[in-house]
Amino acid sequence: MINNYKFNTSLIRFFVYIVLIFLLILIVVPIWILLVNATRSTVEIQQGLSLLPSTHLVDNYNVLQNRGLNMVRGFTNSFYLAAVSTLVTVYFSMLTAYGIVVYNFKGRQTFSNFILVLVMIPTQLTIIGFFQYMSRLGLTDNYAALILPLIANAGGVFFSKQYFESMLIQDLIDAARIDGASELKIFHSIMLPLAVPGAVTLGIFAFVGSWNNFFTPFILITSVEKYTLPMLVRSLRGDVYRTEYGAIYLGLAMTVVPVIIMYAIFSRYIVSGIAMGAVKE
Amino acid sequence: MKFTKINRNYYGYFFIAPFIIAFLIFGLYPLYNTLSLSLTDYTLMTRKGEYIGLQNFTVLFADQLFLKALGNTWLIWLLNFIPQIGVALLLSAWFTNNRLKIKGVGIWRAIFYLPNLLIPVVIAALFNSFFSFYGPINQFLVRVGYQVEAVHYLQNVEITRAVVIFIQWWMWFGQTIIIVMAGMTSIPVHLYEAAMVDGASAAQMFRRITLPLLKPILIFIFVTSLVGGMQMFDIPYLLTDGRGAPSNSIMTNNILMYMKFASSRGHIGAASAVAVLTFIMTTICALGIFFVLRDKDDTVSSKPKRSWFTKKSETK
Repeated sequence: MINNYKFNTSLIRFFVYIVLIFLLILIVVPIWILLVNATRSTVEIQQGLSLLPSTHLVDNYNVLQNRGLNMVRGFTNSFYLAAVSTLVTVYFSMLTAYGIVVYNFKGRQTFSNFILVLVMIPTQLTIIGFFQYMSRLGLTDNYAALILPLIANAGGVFFSKQYFESMLIQDLIDAARIDGASELKIFHSIMLPLAVPGAVTLGIFAFVGSWNNFFTPFILITSVEKYTLPMLVRSLRGDVYRTEYGAIYLGLAMTVVPVIIMYAIFSRYIVSGIAMGAVKE
Repeated sequence: MKFTKINRNYYGYFFIAPFIIAFLIFGLYPLYNTLSLSLTDYTLMTRKGEYIGLQNFTVLFADQLFLKALGNTWLIWLLNFIPQIGVALLLSAWFTNNRLKIKGVGIWRAIFYLPNLLIPVVIAALFNSFFSFYGPINQFLVRVGYQVEAVHYLQNVEITRAVVIFIQWWMWFGQTIIIVMAGMTSIPVHLYEAAMVDGASAAQMFRRITLPLLKPILIFIFVTSLVGGMQMFDIPYLLTDGRGAPSNSIMTNNILMYMKFASSRGHIGAASAVAVLTFIMTTICALGIFFVLRDKDDTVSSKPKRSWFTKKSETK
């Protein structure tokens, strides 16, 4: 009886590992082929499948650069935009969330419910009205149109609110008040430093969200010098590169590698962050 | 002391003021603007529009392409969501099972989540290369003898749609696992112990304890996934020609909206109408499901702490 039970458990366990390995292959193989093909020549890619890297990385890079696609500039643009977006999102989300959690003002519960409703509303759909409005203000083709709306980032506030609620902070605030600190100073010099782990997690999501965003810049940004990486990837699909498979794969790989490296370093923050706030971009 | 404390609660307004101002300028006004544009024949060429009432909407409802896009969006979302939540429930149950003791849960989860971090546009372009005529899928299937010769996969309606569904599933199931697992581990162990004493089977415990207590989290996943799914753009846009090919099989609401926006004259009145309809439909579904299902849940006494869900009692 006992033996039978143990046997069953190990049989199920065996089956579970089979399923996990199958899923692992589904995840890793496409990404691996992408990285490997970035190092293979177009001829090699057309001749057959390989899981081993080749030696044409530099050739592919030259093809990629010589056909008018400036990946380095796309990289810089994306990085700049993502960095500023991250700072704005983290600071203002934390500021708003702190206001909700710490002060018992009239309408607090309503405002807090309102944030939750905003998380569940398809805000991307207002892009047409946003575009027309920005073009009236002369702000199309300007990163400001992508950054300023992040001051009111409902997902970020939602996450930060969860975070502040999980920190017991009232005693610290009271102590600081007795010492005569102003409310804004308490936030800046006591609470924000304490909330750094939460800020890092939120920051990673904000960064990745901006880095991966295609739709909004695609609508708002028109001049080629301001293209972000995802917009350049769209150009990669164009006629100029039609048969240069090696260069296409390299262009794609270049956008993926930094994210994978960042994930290898921060995965702990990221996984715990999703569990906590379920921020969905 | 009490006096100052009461006064200080007003500081809350200063802290939330930037949010409210930015929301009014960059959130609410664009929404209003989209709504009012949808009632005009505004184009980017003329830079002005006349009020034409609901004409954009009547045109849309008579347009087979719009109905097709609507159907596609729902179909693609549903067919990726069901396996996504299914796999997440199954794997979370395995990962949290004390008897199975699966090793390296953290690493498995981290790997399964990885696709979610990659640029969706890149993934679409990547799968386009994979399924192209000279791509690895054809090479592999011909080599193992499954196919006699290469096939134009992305000219086939069913296969193209299946690829979009697969990519969506591939990108999101890892995240769903992490959220579901967080919900499962927050269920008090003593409930399972009590059930075990009463002789409940594993399946019974899953159905009678795990699922009801997970309900708030499942609703949250459902709603956020729905909202994302109804706005699907990047993957179907870059997988094929950006116009829903083959034969509009992966035409979604947002692609249709973009096509009207980017048409030669820039019909942003008509594009806004698509946005408004999708917005109304999604908001009603999402908020409806959220609030209807939430209130029925109050009978469960020892539910896991989810402060985004239960109304939080005032902290002192």
